[in-house]
Amino acid sequence: MSVSGDAAVSPGTGDGRVVVDLRSIRKEFPGVVACDGANLTVRAGTIHALLGENGAGKTSLVNVLGGVYLPGAGQIWVHGTQRQFHSPADAIAAGIGMVHQEFRLVPTLTVFENVVLGSAPRYLDMGQIIERVSHLAATYSLQIDPSRPVWQLSVGERQRVEILKALWRDADVLVLDEPTAVLTPAEAAALGLTLRSMADRGRSVIYISHKLDEVLSVCDEATVLRNGMTVAQPRSLVGIDRSDLAEMMVGEAAAAIQRPTDQPSGDIVLELAGISALSDRGLPALHAVDIDVRAGEIVGIAGVSGNGQRELAETVAGLRPTTAGTMHLAGVEVTGASPRARSRAGLAYVPEDRLGVGLAPTMSVVDNAVVRSYRSMRRRMMLDLQGCEDFCRRLIERFGVQVGRLHEPISALSGGNLQRLLLGRELTGEPKVLVAAQPTRGLDVAGIAAIQSQIVAQRAAGVGVLLISEDLDELLALSDRLIVMYEGQVAARMDPTQATRAEVGAAMAGTAAA
Amino acid sequence: MTEPTHAPLHTVARGRARWHRIIVRPVLQRRARVAPAAQAIAFLIGIVLALIAGAMLLWGSGNDPAMVYQRMAESSLGGFDALSRTLLRATPLAIAGLAVAVAGSMGLWNIGAEGQMMAGATVAAGFAMVAGDLPGPVLIMLMLVAGAVGGVVLVVGPALARAYLGVSEIITTLMLVEVAIRIVEWLKVGPWKDPESFGFAQISPLPDQASLPGLFGQVHIGVLFAAALLLAFWLAVSRTAWGYELRMAGSSPATARYAGISLQRKVLTALLLSGGLAGLAGAIELTGTATRLEPGLSSGYGFAGIIVAALALMRPSGVAVVAFVFGAVLRGGQSIQTLGVTSSIATILQAMILIGALVAAVLLNYRVRWVRPVGHPSEKAAPPARPARGGAPPSEGSSHPEASGV
Repeated sequence: MSVSGDAAVSPGTGDGRVVVDLRSIRKEFPGVVACDGANLTVRAGTIHALLGENGAGKTSLVNVLGGVYLPGAGQIWVHGTQRQFHSPADAIAAGIGMVHQEFRLVPTLTVFENVVLGSAPRYLDMGQIIERVSHLAATYSLQIDPSRPVWQLSVGERQRVEILKALWRDADVLVLDEPTAVLTPAEAAALGLTLRSMADRGRSVIYISHKLDEVLSVCDEATVLRNGMTVAQPRSLVGIDRSDLAEMMVGEAAAAIQRPTDQPSGDIVLELAGISALSDRGLPALHAVDIDVRAGEIVGIAGVSGNGQRELAETVAGLRPTTAGTMHLAGVEVTGASPRARSRAGLAYVPEDRLGVGLAPTMSVVDNAVVRSYRSMRRRMMLDLQGCEDFCRRLIERFGVQVGRLHEPISALSGGNLQRLLLGRELTGEPKVLVAAQPTRGLDVAGIAAIQSQIVAQRAAGVGVLLISEDLDELLALSDRLIVMYEGQVAARMDPTQATRAEVGAAMAGTAAA
Repeated sequence: MTEPTHAPLHTVARGRARWHRIIVRPVLQRRARVAPAAQAIAFLIGIVLALIAGAMLLWGSGNDPAMVYQRMAESSLGGFDALSRTLLRATPLAIAGLAVAVAGSMGLWNIGAEGQMMAGATVAAGFAMVAGDLPGPVLIMLMLVAGAVGGVVLVVGPALARAYLGVSEIITTLMLVEVAIRIVEWLKVGPWKDPESFGFAQISPLPDQASLPGLFGQVHIGVLFAAALLLAFWLAVSRTAWGYELRMAGSSPATARYAGISLQRKVLTALLLSGGLAGLAGAIELTGTATRLEPGLSSGYGFAGIIVAALALMRPSGVAVVAFVFGAVLRGGQSIQTLGVTSSIATILQAMILIGALVAAVLLNYRVRWVRPVGHPSEKAAPPARPARGGAPPSEGSSHPEASGV
């Protein structure tokens, strides 16, 4: 399926000159083909959306353009000449600027120092440099104070520094990898204005996202990747709506998430009272958090990432010590209890890092399947290997995990199958409480549906579910109650059937009354 | 065109050399999976390549490579006696290698196995002095136990520091090697000095019944202990809940914590077991080959155990194979000195063989790809079909000008 461009030039764009042309790019990693037959044609003066599901190869493709990866095959054409980028420096020299998901800034230096780092003009004094950086920022409506140190800045401001860095190096093409994932709605809107002003001045933007509404409001053109291959290149997004884009991405109409039927909730099974905890850096990450979860309900936790959700999940699982407060699990106090004691008390935990925390990457499928149950698989001194294998087979069958060989390392499995196995393993102990952190992140459509239906089934079976997610649609659809976290505190409690996305977004940005 | 928003203040620094844009160059790419059989073959290829390089060394130093290699092979593998001499050296290598591998399977480096061997031998010798009247088999068994205790004693400090304070075990175990050897030197001139040695400083000899019975040729029954220990460790790691926890804690600490396994306890047991095994190796070396305790008793077997464990990828089966090959190389290197090969050349030859095996084992994890730059003559010779600029994407299976797999 290929949408050819019949509209000659998109509205509000330049002369249609091709700036970047990636042809038949192939990039392979051990065991994974990230890109195969990926094409990307970007014209001057346009904001070009690079769409695709997680794992479709978007990030790999732009890393090829940015000189981070050497492609296995294919050609890179920039401004009409074929190029080969051996390092990011080569790509920068060719006018490609990248803003990665993780920022690459020096926290102790100021904004302007970060901007000119490595390419500071020798004949200007500091005042003149600051003036030029300020002028550059003003030109593209980037609100930032050039003389503030970076460590004081918010995530959104840091992103502006990264964009300034690319502009300072005179990038014709700015690549942004999921720029709004870490932004509040207001910051995202400001970013949209900046990108438009860049396009108006003839520069091009490659905008990676899977937020379709955002793409439709910000971008002019799009390239859609599926399984590492370009499947559609609409030259104009006029007249295209959300479901068209979703269809191009997944190849079929994405089913809306089914809201679980209402049911009366039972007793409180998980009770957090005044819980505080520190982050890995020893700074306060949770402050006096009160959360109750009742049997047979799903409590959703929303928030921009980094506002204490990870610490909350780890605290409940017993992997992170609390500094204040008490925690009860099914009526038993578990404050300070070990992860194992909590597991015995009826806690199932699906951690955010499924590979590395939930599952041991280099160990076999069987070994990973029995993480919770190997202690009951002992026969005198030895481990009952046949019993472990049978257990693993039952688990795989019940939760529809697709596995090659049982004794191969689990890292050979795809993300969806990893998560099915992990969730399945956690659910076999008949838990009373399920804590699921980002359970559907990075999964394909089929995987997301399978995981969500399992979570809903657990709710129906009377399990209390604490669902931590960055996918607002998922939270609004699945939760019985919604809690918004902001800077380690409960910022708002909402009824997901009443709350609008805008209200939730405002609470996530810390602007709603708690 | 881009509106000039600020003057072009600079050009981005281009510090990199230009040669890599002109010549074809190799790029290493990590393989997803390496078959164990391939591992064994690479090991052999590495040794063969090292032997070829060694032949040049021998030839350059005025020796006949063919004759030297023939002597090496004969003296280490040709017949029962030669084999027994190889096994005699392989025994302490295997146990010390296992000791390092036990810690290694938890991601810990017990660099001080040499010191723990000396400590084990010292405690075993001390026990023999106190209880020299016991009958042979009882005395030997108790000496071996004493040896394991000695190894544990030397490693208990580093193990506790590592488990509870996070102090690097690499440094602490290494420093204690010196301590162990110096203690033996002090015992030699001080409290344990043999009164019948007339001023010549040496430690009193062991009682006659305190020597391990021979098996065949030169080798003693210590080689059976080594085999049994390797088998026992393999069983424990692959078939018990304890081994499961050890593997989990070693390969993915976060997962182990998540599963409720105490990492501190696993670190502690792995290091103590490692020290105990090294101490046992020391006691076996003492009762098997020596008549008395000496500061040079271990003669580097503990350090060689690190190489054995690393080459064996911390697997017990690998330790057995590598220790045997290492033993043969040691025996062969020693025997060729009777052909007039100087000891330094013999040592270099031994090192080359081990490096060859090590490099091959590491390189096996990678595939070499030759990358040609754009516009290279070899590409122009057969130009790929290029689509018109901005036109339709080239069809699938178009030429891949930049890389060819090897």
